[in-house]
Amino acid sequence: MGEMIRMVVTLAILSAVSGGVLAGVQQWTKDPIERQKLANEKAPVIRQILEGTENDPIADRFTLNDGTRDYLIFPGRVNNEPIMVLEDRAQGYSGDVHVMVGFSLKNDTLVGAGVTTHSETPGIGSRAKDDPSFTRQFKGKKAGAPDSLRLDGGSLDSISGATITARAVVQAVERASSAYLRLKPELESSKREKEE
Amino acid sequence: MPRPLHKEFLKGLWEEIPPFRLVLGLCPVLAVTMTVENGIGMGLATTFVLVCSNVLISILRNQIPPKVRIACYILVIATFVTIVDMLMQAFTYPLYQKLGIFIPLIVVNCVVLGRAEAFASKNSVLPSLADGLGIGIGFTLSLAALGALREAFGNGTLLGHSIFGPGYQPLTFLVEAPGAFIGLGILLGLMNLISQRR
Amino acid sequence: METYILLAITCIFINNIVLTQYLGICPFMGTSKAMETAVGMSMAVLFVLVMAGSVTWMVEHWLLAPMGITFLRTIAFILIIASLVQFVEMFLKKSAPGLYAGLGIFLPLITTNCAVMGACLLAISAEYTFMETLVASTAYALGFGLALTLFAGIRERLFKVRVPGPFRDTAIGLVAAGVVSLSFFAFKGMG
Repeated sequence: MGEMIRMVVTLAILSAVSGGVLAGVQQWTKDPIERQKLANEKAPVIRQILEGTENDPIADRFTLNDGTRDYLIFPGRVNNEPIMVLEDRAQGYSGDVHVMVGFSLKNDTLVGAGVTTHSETPGIGSRAKDDPSFTRQFKGKKAGAPDSLRLDGGSLDSISGATITARAVVQAVERASSAYLRLKPELESSKREKEE
Repeated sequence: MPRPLHKEFLKGLWEEIPPFRLVLGLCPVLAVTMTVENGIGMGLATTFVLVCSNVLISILRNQIPPKVRIACYILVIATFVTIVDMLMQAFTYPLYQKLGIFIPLIVVNCVVLGRAEAFASKNSVLPSLADGLGIGIGFTLSLAALGALREAFGNGTLLGHSIFGPGYQPLTFLVEAPGAFIGLGILLGLMNLISQRR
Repeated sequence: METYILLAITCIFINNIVLTQYLGICPFMGTSKAMETAVGMSMAVLFVLVMAGSVTWMVEHWLLAPMGITFLRTIAFILIIASLVQFVEMFLKKSAPGLYAGLGIFLPLITTNCAVMGACLLAISAEYTFMETLVASTAYALGFGLALTLFAGIRERLFKVRVPGPFRDTAIGLVAAGVVSLSFFAFKGMG
């Protein structure tokens, strides 16, 4: 019986110490981890969409909720037009494909899109991110109807050999667009607040 | 008569070098050695876990009841793995992204649990430290060697620098899964050949 | 239904857990020397992986995520897998001694089989639903069994041929595994 108690006590003490230490490390690394994630995964794509903006969209980011989930919004201004960048995702060939999309607040058109993170096959599906000629096609589309692949009756060229990935990108752009339209009233008021 | 410390350290570099002499922990060896940099990063992360868990387990070795010792070892190892995981996310994020789920999977790397059970649970703190450090550095060297082989011939670069000039047609096969198995097989064969000659 | 079939095919062939995801290599090399042990290990993995996949999904989505302590995932999962293996072992010993005689010696080895832990982590990072996790775990385990039994068949023959001394056993085994992996590599083109 004494042995049993000793076993339980040892395990309990070890678990408690381990939990405490990890909670401490987690608190300490929480902010650096979030900064690193933004800087390495999202920032390059955001900068590309908002090329020429004078502010730092990463530092100016804010969160809005469209009723389903929180969206991080990265605001910017290109050619004196306010632009809002946000991200959504869709299921690809192996795992989710995350796509960052920029919208012009003035006329609700897409100013750019780019894949941030994915786990698609290197050399095939990964071209959605590495070769920007696919995502460039979204430029100038309307947020109300962002188009689809030619195979599905739209006008976009697919990525050869990676139709599933291409469809996932299209779907993610659609989701981002409808989230943008839902969030538009709040986005406009946030922009006005900043200007006042 | 305990062996001198430097012997405990040096045995990890040749006599018992993982994964060649101790055929354990093969998954990360194959998975992350696309480049030298990845190999070294993975090796150092494993070394950290190995050294810390060896030292702690050796300190606690008389307190841990034998029946639950494996559970205690796993708990200790998993704690250190989680610490490495968070530290790498916070400070070396691009490397962390490349190593992916193989960082949390250090917890099931048989080398780490193997050293805890076979060495740290029977020896005092300093030899356990030397043992962990030696085995860890040996593991890092193996990963770097396989990484160098695959990166050099599979991509024509070493640590990102081109080495064969622009005319080289890379054997892309080597950076993919089949090349990993065959590359490790050839390295292991060569190691056996060298030690037979000695 | 179609998505589940696609998912299963992806997990068995295209993302085969051993030959393309590099998980579970140790048991793959360790238990492939004879067909009998290979089949035993495959069955044990199937058994544990399906259970581990569902339990870790529940723990992740009902416990870790709502409480905001996902940083404890590694610890939680390894403890779940270790205790699951113990539990399965005790259960089989009592209720199905025949099966236990067959799987018994492989069960303790599964705790450190990274295929099990790896598949659970992959299912979480892919954000699968519960049904998808169940399908994926089964398919990953079947893929493991397929690779292992295929490879055991090849390895049994390798013992009959004359291999240069330094390459005997594990070294030539790894090279052979590379060739098997090459055949699975062909599935990658089916994107």
